[in-house]
Amino acid sequence: MDAPAIATQHLTRHFGDLIAVQDVNLSVAPGQFFGFLGPNGAGKSTTIKMLTGLLSASSGSIQILGLDLAQNPVEVKRQIGVVPEGMALFGRLTGAEYLNFVGRMYGLDRETAGKRTAELLDFMQLSDQPKALVTDYSHGMQKKLALAAAVIHGPRILFLDEPFEGVDAIASGTLKAMLQRMIARGATIFLTSHVLEIVERLCSHLAIIHRGRLVAQGSLEELRAGVEAQAAAALATTSPGEASSPVPGEKLTLEEIFLRIVGGTRRAEQELSWLG
Amino acid sequence: MAGLTSSPEMRGQLAAIARVRWQLFVNGLRTIRGRLEVVARGIVFLMLTVAGLGGSFALGAAAWYFVSHGKVEWIAILLWPIFLFWQLFPVMASAFTENVDSSNLLRFPLSFPSYFLIRLVYGSLDPSTIIGSMWLVGMTLGIGIARRGLFFWAALVLIVFGMFNILFARMIFSWIERWLAQRRTREIMGAVFFVFLICFQFIGPLATRYSEHQHLDASGNASRVTAQVLHYERAFPPGLAAAAIAAGFHGAFVPALGTFAIGCAYALAMLWLLNVRLRAQYHGENLSEAAARRSSPKEKSALRLSWNISGIPGSMAAIVEKEVHYLSRSGPMLFTFVMPVIILLIFRLGPAGTPGRHSDFLSHAPDLAFPVGAAYALLILTNLVYNCFGADAVGMQFYYVSPVRFREILMGKNLTHALLLAGEVAAVWLAVCFMFRPPAVDVTVATVTGVAFAILLNLTAGNLLSLYTPKKIDYGTFGKQRASTTTVFASLGIQAAVFGLTAITLLIARLYGRIWIAALIFVILAGLAAIAYMFVLKRVDRIALDRRDAILVELCRA
Repeated sequence: MDAPAIATQHLTRHFGDLIAVQDVNLSVAPGQFFGFLGPNGAGKSTTIKMLTGLLSASSGSIQILGLDLAQNPVEVKRQIGVVPEGMALFGRLTGAEYLNFVGRMYGLDRETAGKRTAELLDFMQLSDQPKALVTDYSHGMQKKLALAAAVIHGPRILFLDEPFEGVDAIASGTLKAMLQRMIARGATIFLTSHVLEIVERLCSHLAIIHRGRLVAQGSLEELRAGVEAQAAAALATTSPGEASSPVPGEKLTLEEIFLRIVGGTRRAEQELSWLG
Repeated sequence: MAGLTSSPEMRGQLAAIARVRWQLFVNGLRTIRGRLEVVARGIVFLMLTVAGLGGSFALGAAAWYFVSHGKVEWIAILLWPIFLFWQLFPVMASAFTENVDSSNLLRFPLSFPSYFLIRLVYGSLDPSTIIGSMWLVGMTLGIGIARRGLFFWAALVLIVFGMFNILFARMIFSWIERWLAQRRTREIMGAVFFVFLICFQFIGPLATRYSEHQHLDASGNASRVTAQVLHYERAFPPGLAAAAIAAGFHGAFVPALGTFAIGCAYALAMLWLLNVRLRAQYHGENLSEAAARRSSPKEKSALRLSWNISGIPGSMAAIVEKEVHYLSRSGPMLFTFVMPVIILLIFRLGPAGTPGRHSDFLSHAPDLAFPVGAAYALLILTNLVYNCFGADAVGMQFYYVSPVRFREILMGKNLTHALLLAGEVAAVWLAVCFMFRPPAVDVTVATVTGVAFAILLNLTAGNLLSLYTPKKIDYGTFGKQRASTTTVFASLGIQAAVFGLTAITLLIARLYGRIWIAALIFVILAGLAAIAYMFVLKRVDRIALDRRDAILVELCRA
């Protein structure tokens, strides 16, 4: 059996007294489109930063493609592509200069970097303004450029932190097309997102982190089955009307699964009656 | 506007803004940096209070002297510096000046008069307004003491003059704010500003040079020029205010009211211009950074290859290319790089540059011009060297996720800076040859070896400081290239060490009467500096990893 593309053991990160991520054990198989979900402040970005080398772990270990990240950072980084939260762009370069730069930094020769730059700019519909600096790009254009930079060297694993945040439907379509192409070629994608509809449509496997702890992991069907089993168990122990259960024959959506797992339901007295 | 100020809604809004500013101040005290900032501001406040009170007393005494001696027109001599201070201080000391971000206010249901008032009031609570007002009060009191009957007239004229200054400063700032909102206009403005500064530096030398040619009839010229200047200065607010007070002093009521009315017209004109700017902001003006330039199909389809620098790895070549692109797109940095040659030019054009004058050490010892120019070139580069990740900002994240070691990244940056210095030194050498005469061979060799030693030492310290005390900077905006205070102090220490060692080396060479000895010592020192450089370079990856969180927090902040 292949080694997991991404694996963590007891991954923990403290910020002073605050425990942002605690004892996370992740396992992502090669070729999976993996969605990493959680409410705001749950520890998603902290985890993805640790997985990509942007943040040190307080304890625990990370293996990427069977290599320990702490022991082999350069070898690991050669095989991954990252779109971090801040996008890691160099604002005072043009799009082409930036992609060429990234390509060379990943060890591509000039010709290959140049050719891939042209193809990526074309694919991402960014070739219209060759002289524009990245700082002058719109947010959506910057997201597309960041994704182009993350894939220019043909990574085996792609880490994306909120790739669809602030992106319009057209740009989102371009990004999805690119990601699906990568999955078709056997790459592994690990993404965090708040857009659950997109995650549901794209991801084959999911993990949910809540208050720094991993509370669910598996395929969408496994998560759904788990939630339904929990609901059935709750139904058996409570009187009718106290616990909500899925309507028989209807599948729970990812949003419903997510809300049930992280306890996102709101009590009636919390509603803002003055809103009218 | 008066009706609106009494509305409870507006009072509530003003109180809310005052409260949030206070809360921001209190929250800032949570960090050591915030507390140090408050201490620094306290020291600055004390200095400004002393300047305000001292200036108020001095100007009051001068105004009293002019009025009591019947030289009331000379009050203009006092009003012009106040005017210049009021307008230039906020530009020169922008760190002390609060600039309100209008975009934050516009989402609230503010009426235009409320918005206008908030911008005017909060923008006006700056040191220049407070000090300028104190100075005008001092002058009014001085005039009143000298002649009691003139007090109210002088007070009225100076209040209008003060209002003009407030409105003019706000108007200028609001327009500057508009120009700075776009990259291209930012850079153009910056370039114009520095050209102005250069021109300013040339005025002294050129005026002195001109006066030397006209030496024989200098006294006649001076009185003629003074008369012309006085004639024109009366057309401007400081001159008008002085003329109105003088006319009041002489009992000439019609000219007094006339000049006062023109002064009021100036203030109203500033009010109108400010109103135009603020109204545009109030209506949600959108200043896009993007300059939509049409590209030809050929440009769009062109295959752009990165640079090929033989002899160095591709990743290092990529770093060099990226650094050169960054520097070449920075107006402030480009200007900085031509400064050594401009400084030599100023020395050459200066009065001391005239043959026969004994004060110009560069003209009398042209061999010194090359080392001095080269040392200056080195000094202006230290800002880059000591904070070499500052301009990368969020791009720093890329270095951490890329498979390139920090050793290579720093070597690429160091190579760029060393090449830049080499180019600068070569330009200085050519400039010295052109403006003075070619430096002697031994001087040239000693200078080049000295620069090699100094740059290696600076790069060594710079690599460490870039990782230990980075500070986000913006190459595109003037005044946004300053490193952290710690870096500045460390840099001063290193420069003191470099110049100390250089002085000792030159002293030894002078003792033996051979400049070659200095070159030899510099080669040895450069060798030692190279060892230190390699020692540090071997450790930068570990330091970068250990300091990863702190570096990314500083460089990736908004």
